[in-house]
Amino acid sequence: MADKMELRDVEVWDGNMAASQAMRQVQIDVVAAYPITPSTPIVENYGNYLANGYVDGEFVMVESEHAAMSGCIGASAAGGRVATATSSQGFALMVETLYQASGMRLPIVLNVVNRALAAPLNVNGDHSDMYLGRDSGWIQLDAYNPQQAYDLNFIAFRVAEDHEVRLPCMVHQDGFLTSHTAQGVKTLDDDTAYNFVGEFKPMNDMLDLDHPVTHGVQTEEDWHFEHKARQHNDLMTKVFPKIEAAFDAFEKLTGRRYNIVETYNTEGADAVVVCMGTSVETAIEVAKELRADGKKVGVIGIRVIRPWPHAQIAEALKGIKAIGALDRSSPNGTFGMLYNELAGTVVNSGESKVLTNYVYGLGGRDLTKVHLREIYAELLANAEAGKPTTPLQQLIGVRGPKISFH
Amino acid sequence: MLEIRWHSRAGQGAVTGAKGLADVVSTTGKHVQAFAFYGSAKRGAAMTAYNRVDDHEILNHEKYMNPDFVFVIDPALVYTTDVTINDKPETVYIITTHMSTDELVASQPKLNGKKVYTVDCIKIAQETIGRAIPNTPMLGAFMKISGMYDIEFFKESMKRILAKLPPKIVDANMDAIQRAYDEVK
Amino acid sequence: MNNGWNDFEIGAMLRSFDGAVNGIATTLQEDRPYSKSNSFTASVADWRIEKPIFNKDYCIDCQFCWIYCPDISIISRDKKMVGVDYDHCKGCGICAEVCPTNPKSLLMFAEQEDEDKALAGWPEKEKKEN
Repeated sequence: MADKMELRDVEVWDGNMAASQAMRQVQIDVVAAYPITPSTPIVENYGNYLANGYVDGEFVMVESEHAAMSGCIGASAAGGRVATATSSQGFALMVETLYQASGMRLPIVLNVVNRALAAPLNVNGDHSDMYLGRDSGWIQLDAYNPQQAYDLNFIAFRVAEDHEVRLPCMVHQDGFLTSHTAQGVKTLDDDTAYNFVGEFKPMNDMLDLDHPVTHGVQTEEDWHFEHKARQHNDLMTKVFPKIEAAFDAFEKLTGRRYNIVETYNTEGADAVVVCMGTSVETAIEVAKELRADGKKVGVIGIRVIRPWPHAQIAEALKGIKAIGALDRSSPNGTFGMLYNELAGTVVNSGESKVLTNYVYGLGGRDLTKVHLREIYAELLANAEAGKPTTPLQQLIGVRGPKISFH
Repeated sequence: MLEIRWHSRAGQGAVTGAKGLADVVSTTGKHVQAFAFYGSAKRGAAMTAYNRVDDHEILNHEKYMNPDFVFVIDPALVYTTDVTINDKPETVYIITTHMSTDELVASQPKLNGKKVYTVDCIKIAQETIGRAIPNTPMLGAFMKISGMYDIEFFKESMKRILAKLPPKIVDANMDAIQRAYDEVK
Repeated sequence: MNNGWNDFEIGAMLRSFDGAVNGIATTLQEDRPYSKSNSFTASVADWRIEKPIFNKDYCIDCQFCWIYCPDISIISRDKKMVGVDYDHCKGCGICAEVCPTNPKSLLMFAEQEDEDKALAGWPEKEKKEN
């Protein structure tokens, strides 16, 4: 039996500590890990809890991130509660196995501390790795601060392990800006936290020797499409109701409210920015200041990236005239992911909206309040004109001559 | 909003100091943020750490800051980095040096006309803790200059935060905090 | 059987047996409740061009064929060779290759060969060459 840890009501934790404490409280059976900056402290802390008797489980040190996720897949298929953490190049090396995990419908939780992808080498944060995972069949939740990195881990386990869902789930947080930024985190006591997620309920586990199963079968053309169709269907139809229910239950328990799409001041707004990670909070602060000056601006934060909350975003964007899609990842030859996804969401809305794209913050480049004020000024001009007054795509905060396209 | 920027070398404990300060402040019901720029992430490399303190939830995650206080915990950084960047007229400097405040300002003209306090955190740390870890004494000096908390309350709070260290080291840190509190000018 | 994407159990997963089993390791294959998705219920007999024929007159029950068969198609009971499982044998010929008796107790014949005729014409013991 694992020892309990006494926590204060508010602990000053960085995002890594918050995520690792949540992993401790849900009593994971197996963590297979190959640590990488900036996510290292998550598995390091977990190893510490295990060594000091705060967790009943196994920590498996492996030889690569590919092996880490492979170990997680084996342990999850065997019937354990499983999680790990990674970033950047480590995430990239995991990609092949991410598709195995989701296709095998294994409810693994992966904490992704977002970091830029080399070259050039850079340990700092952007959303390149998060974007790389978006077609892998996982649920993707995004935290904007350490409190949310803590809370969303509980949501992740509860939703992923639900027998109607059985899909792996990533919890994203911004490298350094969240992972290494200490802030006040309201804690749950160990029993309350564990009970919110509940005891792990195995499904088709290999250790059920009375019901032998083969995991990871080959189907070829014969049944592959049907399996993928089923997985896509379940992502499209089964995940949101479960996330909604988990958010409701979590609010009841803690008073903290989460939404599939987070909106700030979108009601009656002329212009909004749509973004993810810590940028959402900085944008809220700027929008608040601009509102005080009578500017009708708001913020939309994407909480659930996959499945893509098409209906919720369409609803949130009703009546809004100008949208700025803020992408923290180099699109490398097209528009940013948020721009393209939002275009798909609003094109049939029946309303005329001006959508423009800002690429920002690559490799940890600061997104300042000054940048955001400039973006809002451009968006308000777009709203006023009813058409783009700027190029459709602009890179902001980059040194050298102004760079923009279309 | 109170904003603090630390200038340090990786390994001197600025991150621990910033997080420790955030922890103490958090217990008084205020909202806090503590973060750092790691730069090349090598021991000895110049780096900066940051604190934000507010009565309301802190939403601002920009790294840009016009600090109310600048802490310099390594004496050479006054010359090799720009510790005055993005400051404002009322910014208060607490700088580790063996020199007097007047000597320091004379040696670094950029500090001319600014509110500068000095204390030798390196020497204090060496004489109390036995190692040149100047983070906790800087916080003692900060308590004196800012008047933020009663020094006894602050030391008690730091005792809890440092509780994982051997008792001797904790006591030495308390001495260091007190000495810097007494010696900062 | 499954008809469409919404029919099967989720996951790239197949069940070996219908319902719960126990003592499966000590249950003979023909007595196991294999599920339809288990490959035991599928025949690969038509893959063969040649088939092994077993002649028990020369067999010494060494079990080499049973060990080497890649498709678990040598039927052996209580360490006595019984015959070939022609539903799952693909005709690879390894059993005949590894058979150590003289003459061999397993030989490959054309798929259409009559078993009685094959046994009647079984080769004689080979003399060692000096």
